[in-house]
Amino acid sequence: MKRSGFWFVAPFLVLYVAFLIVPMVIGLGASVTDDGITGHARFVGAANYVELFGDPAVWSSLWHTLIFTVTSTPVIVLVGLGMALLANRMAPERWLYRLAFFAPYLLPVSVVVLIWNWLYQPGFGLINDALTRLGLHEVGWLSTDGMAMTSIVITTVWWTAGFGFLLYLAALQEIPRQLYEASALDGATPFQQLRRITLPLLSRTHQLVIVLQVLASLKVFDQIYLLSGQGGIPGVRSIVQYIYESGFTRFRIGYASAISYVFFALIAVVALVHFRLVKR
Amino acid sequence: MRALAVVLAAIWLIPLAWALDTALKPESETTRIPVSWFADGMSLDAFGRVFADGDVLAWLGNSLLVGIAVTALTVAVTSLAAYGLSRTWFRGRSVVLALLIAGILVPPQVLIVPLFAEMVGLGLADTYWALILPQVVLPAMVYVLKKFFDGVPRELEEAAVVDGAGRLRVYWSLMLPLARPALAAVAIFTFVTTWNNFLWPFVAVSDPHLMTFPVGLATVQSSYGVRYAQVLAAALLGGLPLVALFLAFQRQLVTAIKG
Amino acid sequence: MNRRTFLLAGAALAATTGSACSGSAGLEYWNLFGGGDGSRMTEMVGAIGTRLDAVTLAWGTPYYTKLAMAAAGGRAPDLAILHLSRMPGFAPLGLLDPFDGDLLAAHGLTSDRFPEAVWSRARHNGRTYAVPLDTHPLVLFYNTELCGKAGLLENGRLKPIRGPEQLLDAFGKAGLALAAARDVNPWRLFWTLYRQQNGEGPLDDAKALTALRLLAKVGATTRFTDNNAAVALFGSGQAGFFWNGEWELPTFQEQHMPFDVAPFPQVYERPAVHADSHAFVLPHQRNRDPQRTERTVAAIAELIENSLTWARGGHIPAYQPVATSPAYLKLLPQANYRSEAAEVELDPAVWFAGAASDLQSAAGATIGSVLGGTMSPEGALDALKATLVRLQNTPRPS
Repeated sequence: MKRSGFWFVAPFLVLYVAFLIVPMVIGLGASVTDDGITGHARFVGAANYVELFGDPAVWSSLWHTLIFTVTSTPVIVLVGLGMALLANRMAPERWLYRLAFFAPYLLPVSVVVLIWNWLYQPGFGLINDALTRLGLHEVGWLSTDGMAMTSIVITTVWWTAGFGFLLYLAALQEIPRQLYEASALDGATPFQQLRRITLPLLSRTHQLVIVLQVLASLKVFDQIYLLSGQGGIPGVRSIVQYIYESGFTRFRIGYASAISYVFFALIAVVALVHFRLVKR
Repeated sequence: MRALAVVLAAIWLIPLAWALDTALKPESETTRIPVSWFADGMSLDAFGRVFADGDVLAWLGNSLLVGIAVTALTVAVTSLAAYGLSRTWFRGRSVVLALLIAGILVPPQVLIVPLFAEMVGLGLADTYWALILPQVVLPAMVYVLKKFFDGVPRELEEAAVVDGAGRLRVYWSLMLPLARPALAAVAIFTFVTTWNNFLWPFVAVSDPHLMTFPVGLATVQSSYGVRYAQVLAAALLGGLPLVALFLAFQRQLVTAIKG
Repeated sequence: MNRRTFLLAGAALAATTGSACSGSAGLEYWNLFGGGDGSRMTEMVGAIGTRLDAVTLAWGTPYYTKLAMAAAGGRAPDLAILHLSRMPGFAPLGLLDPFDGDLLAAHGLTSDRFPEAVWSRARHNGRTYAVPLDTHPLVLFYNTELCGKAGLLENGRLKPIRGPEQLLDAFGKAGLALAAARDVNPWRLFWTLYRQQNGEGPLDDAKALTALRLLAKVGATTRFTDNNAAVALFGSGQAGFFWNGEWELPTFQEQHMPFDVAPFPQVYERPAVHADSHAFVLPHQRNRDPQRTERTVAAIAELIENSLTWARGGHIPAYQPVATSPAYLKLLPQANYRSEAAEVELDPAVWFAGAASDLQSAAGATIGSVLGGTMSPEGALDALKATLVRLQNTPRPS
C-alpha cells in the first residue's frame, strides 16, 4: 500500500519531466552547439557563452529590463496601495472600484496593447488630443526610445496595478477595526493612523507584492514586444525579447538557449537573495 | 477622499470607455480630428462584422478549448500528486519534493526556445498538444494543494481506511470533496492564467486556425487595411468574457488569485 | 495522435463554440499585404478558380518569424509570399521546398518569361525556390506643377537627370521629401548609388564614400522626417520631389494631385536601382502532398496571369506576358518606369540581408543619420563596416 504512493505522483511527474526537465536538458545541450531552427547542430563549446558576454545587445536588453523593473515596480506598488486605501473606505460602492481597478488585469495583453496603441496615436489619439486642447504640444508616445519606455510603463501600470490592489485590499480588511477605534480615542489623526497602524501591518503584503512584481518585471516580454510594433524598437528591447528574437527571428536556437541559461541564473540569484532576506 | 477615488476610477475606466466608444463609431469617424466622443451613425455594426468574419470566434473557441483542457488536466494531475506527497511515503519522495521547489524557480520564459525545439522534434509544433501539454506543468499548484492536504486531520482518513477503502477511494471520495475550495482556487487561477497566456502559445503555433485569442488578435491582420472600430470591437469582445466572469464570481476569483 | 484525433476528443467543446475547424478545403496562403496591396491581393484571390484561404500577418519581422517557425515545425501553409531578398536566409536552411521544374513549365512558369535579374535570385543550388510576382524598385515621384515652375520639365515630363550635380540642382530648385528617420529608405538609396558605381560587396571604401557624401548633400536639401511626414509634405505640394518606392503610388493617386513618376536617375556609371520582388514560395512541409502542390502551382500561375490587378498598386509585373501586354503599357504612370525592371538591384545575396533584416534596419539608421546631418560620411562608413563585420562574424544559422 505504501508503494502505491508513487503512482499518485507519476502522472504529474511524467509531464514535469517531459516539459520541464527535458527542455532544460535540451537547452543546456543546445547552448554549446550552433543549433539552428531546422536542427543541424554542431558542437561549438563555450562559443555561445563567450559571444553573449561580448554582445552589446545582451547588455542593452538587460539594461532595458532593469530600467523597466525599477521604474514600473514602485509605481505599480504605490498605485495599488493607494487604490486599496481609497476603496477600503468606500464601503457602499466598493464593488465598483474593484471592477474599475481590477478589470484591466483580467484583459489579455494584446487587448491592452491595442487599446493603448489607440490612445497613444498622434492627432486622433485621445491623449494627444487632450494635450492639444490644453494648449500643449503633442507627444510622440512611441516614436523615441525614452518616450516608448515611459509609454510601456504607463500601460503596464494600468494593466497590472489591480493585482497589488486586490492583495492590499484583502490585507486591509483583515486589520481589526478596534485598533483604529482605540487610536482614535487617543486623538490620532487619520494620517497618523495610516503611518502607525495600517502601513506597518501591511509589511508582509508589501514584501509579497514587491517580490512578485520584480520577478514578473524581469521576465517582461509581451507588452514591450507588442507595443514596439512590426519593426521593434531596439531601445526598449527586453532580455526575454532578445532571447525570442535570437531564437526565432535569427534562427539561432543554440545562442538563444545560452542566453536563456544566463538569464535563468540571474533570476535564480534574485529569488535566492529574496529567500535569504525573508529568513532573516 | 471620495473625490480622489472617483477620479482614479475614472482614469482607469476611460481607456476601456474610449475603446468601446471607438468600436461603436463608423470607420470613417474613428480618425476624425478633433476627437469627439459622439459621432453620427454610432452602431453595433463593427461587432457584427467581427462575428461575420469568424476569426475572433474561432480564436475564442481555441482559447476555451485550451483553457478547459489545461485546467482539467492540471487539477487532475496536481491534486493526485499533492495527495501522494502529503499522505504516502515512497522511495524518492524527497527528490520529488526538491524537484517541485526547483521547478517553481524556473521561469517559463527560459524554456520557450528549447521547448519549441522539442515540439519540432516530437512533430507536435502547430498542434493543440503543443499549446496544452507544457502549460499543465505547474509545480506551484502541487505545492499549494499539498499544503492544504497536510492540514486535513489524519483521523478522518484513517477512519475510512479502517473501513477498507483503498488509497484511490480515499483520495476520490474523501479528500477531493474536502478540498473543493482549494481545487476551485487552483482551477480558477489556472484557467485565468492559461486564457491570458501570450508567450508560449505565440511560440507554439503559427497556424492562424490554431491560435488562441490573445495570439490571433496580435498576429493576424486584416487584409483590408486598418479598421480601428472593428479591431477594437474584436479586442473588447475577446476581453469581456473574463471581466464578466469576474463580476459574477468576484469573491471566488479574489480568493483564487490571492492563493 | 494528430490534431484531428484531438479534435474528435474535444468535439463537444468545439461544437459549443462552432470553432476550431481546420483542414479546410482551400489551400492555405500566407501573405504580408495590408492596405491597398491587401485589397488588390484579395481581389486577385477572388478572381481565380483555385480556392485559397488567405491569411495576412503583420508585415516585416513578425511575418518572417512566423513563416520560419511554421516551416521549421513542418506544418507550414501551402503557399506563401517571400521577398526574394530573403531567399538566402530561407532556402539554404531547408525552410522552403523547391519547385518541380516540369510542373512549373507545365503551367507556363519558365525562366524566359521572367526578368533575368529576379529569376536568378529565385534559384538556389540549381533549383527553383520561388516564382516572382513583381519587382518593386525605387522611383522618383515629382510634382508636375512645382517642377514646371522650376523649369525642370520638357514636354510636360521631367528632363532626364544625369550625374550628381544635376540631381542636387533639381532637388534644390523644387524641394525634396524623403523618408530618412526610422526607415529603411536611406539604405535603399545608398545601395542604389553604390551599385550604380559597380560597387561590390562587402564594401568598397571609395565608392561607398562617394555615395555617402552625395547623400549628405542630398540631406542638406531636405527636412529630416519619417516616411509619414515625407508623404504628407509631397502630397500637400510642399516638396517637388519624393524619393521612395513605387508602392507609394496609390497614396498620391487618391489625393488627385498633379504628379508623375520617373525612373530613378542615373547618377553614376551605369543605371541601377534598389528593388525587391514579392515572390511565391512553398514553405517546407514535412508531409508534402503532391496533389496539393500541383494545385498550388496552378494557383500561382493563375495569380500571376492576373498580375495586371497587382500592377495598379505600382508594382512592375514580373511575368513578361503581362509586363509587355498592351493593357499594362497603357497603364500610366506605371508604364513610365517599367524600364527599371531590367536594372533592379536586390540586397546583397547574404543570409543577414533582405527585407526587414538586421542589415536593413542597422544600415538604414546609420545612413539616415548622414541624411539628417548628425553623422559624417566618414563616420557612417566606419559604422557600416562595423555592422557588416558584426553580421559576417555572427555564425550563420544552420
